[in-house]
Amino acid sequence: MLQASLIVRFIMKSRLRSALLWITWGLRLALLVWLLSSLVPPRARAILGEPQQVSTTKPKLCLHTRLIDEVYDWKIQRSLEMIRQMGASTIVEFFPWAYFEPSAGQFNWQRADFIMRHAENQGLRVLARMGFVPEWARPASTGQISTFNSLPRQSYAAFGRFAAQFAVRYHHLLAGIILWNEPNLDYEWGYRPVSPAEYAELLAVAAPLIRQAAPSVSILGGALAPTREPPGSPHGMDDLIYLEQMLEAGAAQHMDMLAVHTYGFTAPADEPPSPDRLNFRRVELLHAILQRSAPLPIAITESGWNDHPRWTKAVSPSLRIQYTLDSLRLGESWDWLRYHCLWVFRFPTPYYAYPDHFAMATTLFQPLPIYYALRDYAQGQPMSVVRWLPAPR
Amino acid sequence: MVARPTLRRLRWPTLAFLILVIVLAWPRDDAARQRDEARRLIASGVLRIGIDASYPPFASWQDGQLVGFDVDLGLALAEALGVEARFVPLSFDGLYDALKTVQVDVLISALVYNPARTAEVAYTRPYYDNGLLLVSRAERPLDAMAAIVGLRLAYQYGSDADTEARKWARRIADFDIMPYELPTHALDALCLSQADAALVEATTYFLHARQSKKLGRTCPAHAIYVTHNPYVVATRLDQPALRNALDSLIESFQRTGRIDTLRAKWL
Repeated sequence: MLQASLIVRFIMKSRLRSALLWITWGLRLALLVWLLSSLVPPRARAILGEPQQVSTTKPKLCLHTRLIDEVYDWKIQRSLEMIRQMGASTIVEFFPWAYFEPSAGQFNWQRADFIMRHAENQGLRVLARMGFVPEWARPASTGQISTFNSLPRQSYAAFGRFAAQFAVRYHHLLAGIILWNEPNLDYEWGYRPVSPAEYAELLAVAAPLIRQAAPSVSILGGALAPTREPPGSPHGMDDLIYLEQMLEAGAAQHMDMLAVHTYGFTAPADEPPSPDRLNFRRVELLHAILQRSAPLPIAITESGWNDHPRWTKAVSPSLRIQYTLDSLRLGESWDWLRYHCLWVFRFPTPYYAYPDHFAMATTLFQPLPIYYALRDYAQGQPMSVVRWLPAPR
Repeated sequence: MVARPTLRRLRWPTLAFLILVIVLAWPRDDAARQRDEARRLIASGVLRIGIDASYPPFASWQDGQLVGFDVDLGLALAEALGVEARFVPLSFDGLYDALKTVQVDVLISALVYNPARTAEVAYTRPYYDNGLLLVSRAERPLDAMAAIVGLRLAYQYGSDADTEARKWARRIADFDIMPYELPTHALDALCLSQADAALVEATTYFLHARQSKKLGRTCPAHAIYVTHNPYVVATRLDQPALRNALDSLIESFQRTGRIDTLRAKWL
């Protein structure tokens, strides 16, 4: 009996030991799995290299970038590098207010710091476009759903204070600050009726705050969308009429430069301007209107041609190159033009639609023929290579 | 003989009542229920459709009329819902904001499914695929990109097809690349036997084939999808009934061949 009891006890003990062993190893294995699963490859870092300088013969050449929504740091760096190599010395970049001041008075400049640091490293100056209203500064609900473009009058000062903080922080790198984008379109004006007087008021509130905080920073107003919306249209206002009215409302005294968007669509660069045509030289009409109020210079902050095969406002890739270069040459001859910025260097992700065909490089950084043509132009060289085969016959 | 007393106990009015209950409670066709819900949702009787009218053959102005594949699809969907279609022309940039701010009920505008937007919009199933097609000659059909080894591939320089071709050039043994300025040039090269295959987006291929037929040119070709680029209808997230109704209608249009008829009209 005693022997049997000892045997049972032994078995029990050894079972317990074995169970404990299993549990221990199980825990070890779980720990190992957890450790392995928490291992992720490090994100590619974008380390600042030697400071660079832009080598160019065309100081007005500038590209609009889309860096702020880029996830990967190295892609921001690569974009700026390619722009510098092309020979553009200035970029226009959007700095959405909502990204940097998510709560009133609480700033997070991390992303802007990164972009600015890398722009500086490549020897580039920045025209900073401001807009995109944070939730806290949008109108209280009045039945209409607000958008990121809904800026009520009571938030003009808050917007101005944000722009002033931005100007102070980056004044040494800024070519200027563009206050708002295309306020003559309803959706860019938060679906309120567009109003040149209200926009002039926005400038009157924001500009003094920026000037006081960072007197060396240029303030750009306007950035109107080229459009021939008829009077009373709910969608927007003709840019020529809008400009006249915003100047009548006193906007000129709150700007150092007028920002202009002028696209060629299907017309060649030298097509004469006319109020009933949307073409590149529409900028001359805007300039003439501006000169009647104030002798301010102009910055073209968006321009270019599109080469989508089916969009009704596009041209072929070779015409796009020709018209773009012609427009730049025209711009060179205008002493009132400070910057000539082309839309757009590259998109972070493709639209899979015609807007992709405004880009100079694919999302995978493949330079498009227009990129090489602009590089040759900026370096003062003749266009180097035709990169496609002749049409088959 | 056994059932008779039971039947006798059930009076005719009771039977009629039971039949009525069964008929009413019988599960109806899901699609029909969704259509009813969607119709109730569109209380005004009008389906407002946001559309960018600068993108033929999907939507464009012709003699003051809005026409195209998307226009016809919008009309067909509205008709099936029993409401009127009202098209709201918008610029591409303004499409999603107009949907978000309830200025339109849906977007039918050659929109590609965008996963980044699914937090704010709901998409239907695709009604069209504008992915890249590998087009080869009918007498020498290619059924996969890998079959291009040693052959000549034509495409548009700088296009999505170019990106795809470069990807394949890294994957498989060499093939001759033939970049052209226009995607139609790539198809012309194939038709003229100057290339063995062309890589173009589906819309380009369909339009080219249509044009060739119209001009009496013969270019028998074989085409397979290499990538997919689904066009979808977008609705607001807070209108699942509308989204579901449109989705089931598109499904039924696909099943009955109505989508193919629409496509054949424009592409």
